[in-house]
Amino acid sequence: MAPVRTKTPLLPALLSLVIPGAGQMYLGARMVAASIFGTAVVLAFLIWFTLENFRVGLVEWGTLKTSWLWLLFAVFWLWNVWDAYRRAHGRTTPRLVSFGIPILLIYIIAWQVTDVNLLRLVTRFSDVQIIFDALIHPDLLTRDTVVHQGMTTIWIPCSNPPQTVGPGGGSGLPVGIDKPCGTVGDTLVMAGQGFEPNTTGNLYWQEYGGTNEVQVRSGGAPVLVTTDAEGKFVVPFAIPAFAGRDGLDPNSPIVNGIEARFIREVGPLKPSENFGTLIGKIEIKPAPDWMTAFGIMPVGATLPAFEPGGIFVTIALGLMATLISIVVAAPLSFFGAHNIMARVRGGTVIYYIARAIFNVTRSIDTLIWAIILVTWTGLGAFTGLMALSIHSIAAVAKLYSEEVEHIDPGPVEATTAAGGNLLQNIRFAVIPQIVPSFLAYSLLRWDINMRSATVVGLVSAAGVGFYIFEAIRKGGYREYAAALWCIAVVVLIVDFLSAYWREQIFKNEAQASSAPPKAFYQTPRGIFYTVLFVAVFILSWNLAQIDLGKLFEPAPTFGKVLLDFVSVDTSPGVLDSVMRNLLVTIFQALLATTLGGVIALPFAFLAARNITGRTRAALPVYYAARFVLSFLRSIEAVLYVAIFVFWVGVGAFAGMLALSITTFGLIGKLFSEAVENIEEGPVEALTATGANRLQSIAFAIVPQIVPPFISYAIYQWDINIRLATIIGLAGGGGIGQLFQNYVGQLQYHKAGTVILAIVIVVTLMDFASAKIRERLV
Amino acid sequence: MLRVEHLTKVFPNGTVALKDVTFEVADGEFLAVIGLSGSGKSTLLRCINRLIEPTSGKIIWDGTDLTALSPSEMRRVRRKIGFVFQQFNLVRRSNVITNVLTGRLGYVNTAQSLLNAFSKEDNDRALNNLERLGLREKAYVRADSLSGGQQQRVGIARALMQEPKIILADEPVASLDPVLSHSILKYLEQLNREDGLTVLCSLHFLDLVHRYATSAIALKEGQLVFQGLPQEIDDAQFKAIYGQEAQRVSII
Repeated sequence: MAPVRTKTPLLPALLSLVIPGAGQMYLGARMVAASIFGTAVVLAFLIWFTLENFRVGLVEWGTLKTSWLWLLFAVFWLWNVWDAYRRAHGRTTPRLVSFGIPILLIYIIAWQVTDVNLLRLVTRFSDVQIIFDALIHPDLLTRDTVVHQGMTTIWIPCSNPPQTVGPGGGSGLPVGIDKPCGTVGDTLVMAGQGFEPNTTGNLYWQEYGGTNEVQVRSGGAPVLVTTDAEGKFVVPFAIPAFAGRDGLDPNSPIVNGIEARFIREVGPLKPSENFGTLIGKIEIKPAPDWMTAFGIMPVGATLPAFEPGGIFVTIALGLMATLISIVVAAPLSFFGAHNIMARVRGGTVIYYIARAIFNVTRSIDTLIWAIILVTWTGLGAFTGLMALSIHSIAAVAKLYSEEVEHIDPGPVEATTAAGGNLLQNIRFAVIPQIVPSFLAYSLLRWDINMRSATVVGLVSAAGVGFYIFEAIRKGGYREYAAALWCIAVVVLIVDFLSAYWREQIFKNEAQASSAPPKAFYQTPRGIFYTVLFVAVFILSWNLAQIDLGKLFEPAPTFGKVLLDFVSVDTSPGVLDSVMRNLLVTIFQALLATTLGGVIALPFAFLAARNITGRTRAALPVYYAARFVLSFLRSIEAVLYVAIFVFWVGVGAFAGMLALSITTFGLIGKLFSEAVENIEEGPVEALTATGANRLQSIAFAIVPQIVPPFISYAIYQWDINIRLATIIGLAGGGGIGQLFQNYVGQLQYHKAGTVILAIVIVVTLMDFASAKIRERLV
Repeated sequence: MLRVEHLTKVFPNGTVALKDVTFEVADGEFLAVIGLSGSGKSTLLRCINRLIEPTSGKIIWDGTDLTALSPSEMRRVRRKIGFVFQQFNLVRRSNVITNVLTGRLGYVNTAQSLLNAFSKEDNDRALNNLERLGLREKAYVRADSLSGGQQQRVGIARALMQEPKIILADEPVASLDPVLSHSILKYLEQLNREDGLTVLCSLHFLDLVHRYATSAIALKEGQLVFQGLPQEIDDAQFKAIYGQEAQRVSII
């Protein structure tokens, strides 16, 4: 509490009028003073910077251009004077103003910087229906089709005088039109016969003898052709604008084709072509060498073999990256463990270096690592694997290190007392303690790597990420939808396995036999898992196209590129764009967290076992809510960007929306767990007093969940800043887009600046969010 | 013969844990170290085998000054000094025999031991020691499934693997139910009487000191305030060691 001074209140008020916080400082409230001053500086900078760069709050009075947000800033300034005045009397001021004004200001700025345009969500909704439609009908299964068509021709336009006969040269079943020639917008009537009775088809306008065609539409909807009971049809339609693509010159009319096409699906459902690319297909192939070598198959024999699709490459990448990170991070983690390094001469220095390397490496997203590494090993699965591995090693090593630091020192003391040396102490007193938690972290990481592996292909051209990239580029939304479903299924399976095995690790298998237990590899279960592991390892190794030789044959420009990355460009122009885009990224993360969080708030209660999981009637709600959260969470934000780019256009708004979908899934899970972890005592007490369900939620549950909710929201913002750095790689705006532009223009030194900026912001945010959350708990 | 001369330990934070402590223990003694919590008992025992590096002073054991040894020489000497811990210090997730075998680390080849390859001989030795402590049938169960008393017996078996000449026991019974204290101390007494091991054991309860120790020293705020026979600790001595408010209590 600020001490009550008997000084005149005017002096602190005046001081605060000159410098915000100065009065509070004078009164001895240092923390308050520092926060007020800091807030004022940050707000002033934001208002000025966003006015200059984004024209936020711009008002013009003649030649004077300024931001109306300065008015709000003035209110904050006045509040600070008032606060100093009242503080001198030992009184306080309402927090609503002190927190409200800065928060309001930040959200107004964030709203504009991120280019939020809610209207577009509504007006362009019809555009995005095509994607929702595709999501319901992903391109995975298909049937054989039978096509019946009839084509006739027409002159475009009419010459002077008009042609009396058409150009001739139709094909297929007999069809005809009522005019030999016409121009764009003319109404024609097409008639045909001999088709299958009572079926519906479409009309297509064709470039005669070429491959281009458009579907004939009327008022946006396709013109439908329906046959009668005798297989005849008559359909009127207008000549589409496509007919005039080469100009409408009466002196040189062009032949156009008009086709009525009836497509009927026949036979059973079967995997589509796309299914093969995405998931895999059975192909007849020569028997593998080892089979012929062992005489299992004769030489030259063929076998049906499974040809894995993109998703399997992704699975292999996730698996291999996890294995690599375990193997590399486990020894590295000892360098990042303070309790170990304190025993080695010079160890403390190594400890700080190791931790710094882990943190910096971790703060650069896998996708950005992939872009950097492409300059080393080129495009391909192997580059994606390296990107995944590097990020994963750093993240896992940090967690491992912390686990090593948390071991019970007692056994180490005991082995030391028995005369053990450092290595022996680690082997017998440290490793047995850390193996279970290492395994648990590795399984958790497998889950994370699986998700990252789905996107790494966006840049490294391998796996399902690349498939999605291609699908979007070609506008193949049903393929895109198929990939999303596929990813969701795989990630949910991995999610489940990872959680299940983690649970198993900590189960205490007390065995009371007096004989030495058999080694793992001697039990049937052990043999089964070992064989399975080896098989999966070999398959994954092949699918991930691991080629260690590539590491030593970098692209000839690699050295120069690396040097460029390191020689950061700090010219004002570059710093300015980095700053602008960084601000966009930070605000995207803020708004996405807010939006996702606000939607998740009520949803979390639906997905909490102790709320909806209690009665049979509500149980379906519980499972449905859980499923929605898991499904949305299983797909990385950057893969959602395509939907929103289509919906609201390329830019920060689309990125923010994509991010908020993933946020919703992630934070909804955290929130619902917070609801599940509440103590039942207060609820019981209130129920005993006769409170109804809603009242007990308001008075017994809400007070218990507000602190964890706020804590999770801040944590999520921290995560979202990391995620937002890559949103731009798919057209979602922000720093990622800038990075991609620089790399695309081969301006690696500028890209280096971006990376440095990302590292700084992510590290700061990491630190700040940890500190704030510490205080909340 | 173990001689501690002018032993002083000052921790980096400035705490003086031991101040000029000098005493002597003849071979085959059962020396009780008494004093309040924080009086320096644990620090003293850990300084003797240099789990904690003394700030100054000497520890002379069979003519060798342990404080002057290099780390690797010290490791060789440690093999002959068993240590029994208050918190047992077992690897809770490892099974009993693996915990006992770690007592052998000072003897075995590093590379081999890292692969967990202990000789048949060491394995038999471990089983024998467990037999002696009545835990033969628990050899392959996980350490954390044992009771506290059993865990401490595993701790003693581990110390025995070192074939020690001396055992340092730091409050070996303080974490146990008082009724189990005697069972543990009887094992230590047995080792002292039958195997002729010197035992230095810090204890809280005076009646345990009377019952088991052949000599005693007392520490107060890091200084030696008593040295002599357990029987010599009369009421006046007791108040001097434990303070004026202290009351004698006895267990069982």
